[in-house]
Amino acid sequence: MTDSIVATDITHGFENGAILEDVSLGVEPGEILAVVGPSGTGKTTLFRLLAMFDRPDSGVIEFDGDDVWSMSDARRLEVRRRIGMGFQNRSLFSASVADNVAYGLRVRRSWKTRVASAVSGLLGPADYDEAVTAALETVGMADKASRDAGSLSAGEAQRVAIARALAPDPDVLLLDEPTSNLDPRNTAVIEAAMRAARDRGIAVALATHDMQQARRVSDRTAVLLDGTCIESGATDRVFESPTDDRVRQFVEGKLVY
Amino acid sequence: MFGLGDLNLTYLVSITLVSLYVSTAAVLVSATLGLPMALAVSFRDFRGKAVVTSIISTGMGFPSVVVGLLVLLALSRSGPLGEFELLFTPEAMILSQTVLALPVLVSVALSAIQSVPQDLRDAAFASGGTSTDVALLVVREARYGIVTALLAAYGRAISEVGSVLIVGGNIVFSDGTSFTRTLTTAITVEARKGNIETGIALGGILLALVLAVNALGARFRDRTPSGGRR
Ligand SMILES: Nc1ncnc2c1ncn2[C@@H]1O[C@H](COP(=O)(O)OP(=O)(O)O)[C@@H](O)[C@H]1O
Ligand SMILES: [Mg+2]
Repeated sequence: MTDSIVATDITHGFENGAILEDVSLGVEPGEILAVVGPSGTGKTTLFRLLAMFDRPDSGVIEFDGDDVWSMSDARRLEVRRRIGMGFQNRSLFSASVADNVAYGLRVRRSWKTRVASAVSGLLGPADYDEAVTAALETVGMADKASRDAGSLSAGEAQRVAIARALAPDPDVLLLDEPTSNLDPRNTAVIEAAMRAARDRGIAVALATHDMQQARRVSDRTAVLLDGTCIESGATDRVFESPTDDRVRQFVEGKLVY
Repeated sequence: MFGLGDLNLTYLVSITLVSLYVSTAAVLVSATLGLPMALAVSFRDFRGKAVVTSIISTGMGFPSVVVGLLVLLALSRSGPLGEFELLFTPEAMILSQTVLALPVLVSVALSAIQSVPQDLRDAAFASGGTSTDVALLVVREARYGIVTALLAAYGRAISEVGSVLIVGGNIVFSDGTSFTRTLTTAITVEARKGNIETGIALGGILLALVLAVNALGARFRDRTPSGGRR
């Protein structure tokens, strides 16, 4: 199986200097890749590049073998639409849960359909796609579809955000610290949703500062420290016999971030 | 105390209609120009952006008589817009009120648009949205603030007297109905003529309109916006 999304020799920075240096990694369909590292190490910067928010200063990002920054804008939009993303911060729109989850499906429709459904939405309640309900079910939120997104707890909001990323049935799911600051119950629901996505053949990339979470859910782990990938491989191998001394200390709990 | 019988109802109604027409048109023109401006300023980097921003903020406090004077010069026979022969017409007043209302509208709309969290723009983009989708999402998120901007612009337009007096000329037809006489300019005339009752009636109508606009604004503001906020 070829990797869905591959980053090769990515170097990227902002005015204050390079954040990522020569980072290479890829995610395959049907696996969970954990990108672990302390905060400030460049995980969000890397995920934003994978989601094509920005073009990397140097290096290549490929999707199914095509360099995403050499293709036409229209083609890049198509590729973007095969990727779903969940954010660390609360990111729901001021709308119902169902409308939030339907957003990605709605922007993929033609303008003609969108205008028509906006008009019919004024006349009666909107008919929600089965995909919306299905996505909400994977995070246990189907019964709250008509709730206002603003009234949700942090954990519920994060679960809905993941449903929003899953609803268009992406090939790649990028989750940037989806469970930081969440209680164990919400964390467990989100981890189960990640596994379910993997089992459906989605390539899942998870950014986390929580080594234990990486160990629990991921098939492969890449350790990012100060913008460089210092270790990567099968999760069991990385945790049982790390080659990098800092990773060993981290795993043994001697190095605390 | 002030019997309605002493008031010329046709006169009052025609003045009110002129005021409503001019202010509504000015707000519509301002919105057509101003909302894209607010979006451009908050989404795009372009040369002269700082200049535009500072014109908008100083424009808020621009004295209306000065605006009236400048519009008068522009519309006068030898001015750049002289060939349209708009001076002393309702359309001239629409022009000067647009100049006054536009900065108010843009700056209130701008702050509403800029207060939409970046996280929501990012979420729209990552959900497969194009830049148009992201802009529409931002407008939707800022809808209460944008309505407030429209109402603030309306309030500025309808209660303004200096510029409409200069460019409109405060004209009534020979049958006593208004051509370019607005509620505000009518009040100055009636007060000067000693027609206190008519003046008070006009003032009451103006106040009622301004209060109605503010009540609408308060209703929109009080509806708690929800969703992406903590
Ligand atoms: N837009 C930006 N402009 C400047 N510096 C940034 C920007 N985004 C992130 N950084 C910096 O890049 C570094 C890595 O940040 P980030 O990718 O968010 O790390 P992580 O997600 O691992 O916590 C931090 O030092 C942060 O301050
Ligand atoms: Mg981060």
